[in-house]
Amino acid sequence: MSAKTLRHLIVIGLLVLWELLPRTGVIPELFLPSLSSTLLAGWNEAAEYGHALAVTLYEVAVSMAFACGGGILLGAIVGSLPRPRLLIMPMVSSLYAVPLVILYPVFTVWLGIGSESKIAFASIYGFLPTMLATAAGIQTIDPQLLLAARSMGATLSQRLVRVIIPAAIPTVLSGLRIGGALVIVGVVVSEMLISSAGIGYLISRYRTILDSPHVFAGVLLVLFMAIAFNTAIRWVERKAAIWQTGTRAGQGADEVGSGAMQPAT
Amino acid sequence: MQPLANVTPLKPPPRAGAIEVRNVGQVFRTRSQDVVALEDVSLDIKPGRFVVLVGPSGCGKSTLLMMMAGLRAQTAGTITINGAPIPQPDPDRVGVVFQEASLFPWLTAEDNVEFPLALRGVAKPERRAKAQDALKLVGLEGFGKRHPHELSGGMKQRVSIARGLVQDPPVLLMDEPFAALDEQTRMTMGDELLRIWAATGKTVVFVTHSLTEAVYLADEVIVMSPRPGRIVDQLQVSLPRPRTYEMLSGDAFGALRDRIWRHIRKSA
Repeated sequence: MSAKTLRHLIVIGLLVLWELLPRTGVIPELFLPSLSSTLLAGWNEAAEYGHALAVTLYEVAVSMAFACGGGILLGAIVGSLPRPRLLIMPMVSSLYAVPLVILYPVFTVWLGIGSESKIAFASIYGFLPTMLATAAGIQTIDPQLLLAARSMGATLSQRLVRVIIPAAIPTVLSGLRIGGALVIVGVVVSEMLISSAGIGYLISRYRTILDSPHVFAGVLLVLFMAIAFNTAIRWVERKAAIWQTGTRAGQGADEVGSGAMQPAT
Repeated sequence: MQPLANVTPLKPPPRAGAIEVRNVGQVFRTRSQDVVALEDVSLDIKPGRFVVLVGPSGCGKSTLLMMMAGLRAQTAGTITINGAPIPQPDPDRVGVVFQEASLFPWLTAEDNVEFPLALRGVAKPERRAKAQDALKLVGLEGFGKRHPHELSGGMKQRVSIARGLVQDPPVLLMDEPFAALDEQTRMTMGDELLRIWAATGKTVVFVTHSLTEAVYLADEVIVMSPRPGRIVDQLQVSLPRPRTYEMLSGDAFGALRDRIWRHIRKSA
């Protein structure tokens, strides 16, 4: 059986358990409402969830633009110039270790409890890994490649467009994957904390009235959002970085090869 | 055949590809001291010659090559190629082949070869045609659509050579191009390079650590000493061409290699 079919079987198995365990009473419906009642709850309040989803998606999209755009831009600057790198990188790296959610109440004081404070918080939350990855991607470009381009008469802008950017794409994409996931986390968490709209807000509100099916319907929506994002990034990665996946596959094959040659002890 | 009478023998037009190095020096300034990397190096390389630079690490042979490529400025003296100085890289006059890994891994072999043409806005059909010719010349016809990670070390270096030749420059500079290859591939690539050189008539300046490779390939071997880098010997290699594997064990070959080795042992 291939790994893929096995994975699908595991997911199907979990879904079946989700339906059966609450129904047979092994787990109380309050803790885990069955899949069907969760879907039904979502369906009955489709308008409400639809509206909440629209709000959340809007916040995610705007934050994503800020986080990724700003992260790539600043990362590129910091990665290519040594002086700002020395100034900024240590600060950003230590900031990355701070749980930024402690700043969220401050944002609500500054920007109110509407979308603005969520966008500000999620943007900063997703900005850091994107910037760090971009800076790393630019810093680790093989200087041989730039030298070769120069020997062929490439101007500074040609080196940027034809060498630096394509060489940095794989690292930047892996930064976007983390940054984008953190943007979703940032938006949903901030909605759950202090807000008046969005999926996080719905989850939080239904939780306070112990309406588990509606809570889980919201959770499902967030789950789908994260999976959709991940799929999109994977698609872009495949499109943009064929050469890198190829290299990785090659290295993987080498490792397998050398492993197989070791004597069985 | 009898020379024709009544025809004034014309002075042959200066063939492109001459390299003149005059009193070139290079000083690296560090905070504590000045390091003299090259001192008073002068060289005359005639068009179409195959010249090899050898010497221990730190003798400045790669530095000298980078200066000929216009990739680095000397602090003293002049370098001219085709009679004109080379203050910055000029792919019309000089093609450069580096050690392995200087191919762009996200481009196919043919896109790599087309790269210098794309930089100057050459139209796609012309680019493709030239790249095909260059790939054919290095024996890689039909491999154009592969990415570098799908090619062996020797094939990658062939692509590099094709890229250096695609603009048909009179001079080809090679900085330890076969250093990362295994022994067999290295020998094969040496023969291939000699074949390409004979077919194109380029001036080749080739940097290497390998004495055998130096004598096997060269018309002329320039031996350099380190700190400060200067020329200690210039050997004419008069072995007949085409060079063959059997020559490696001959007396003439051994004598030349020994002479280079004695210089290098002294300075190492």
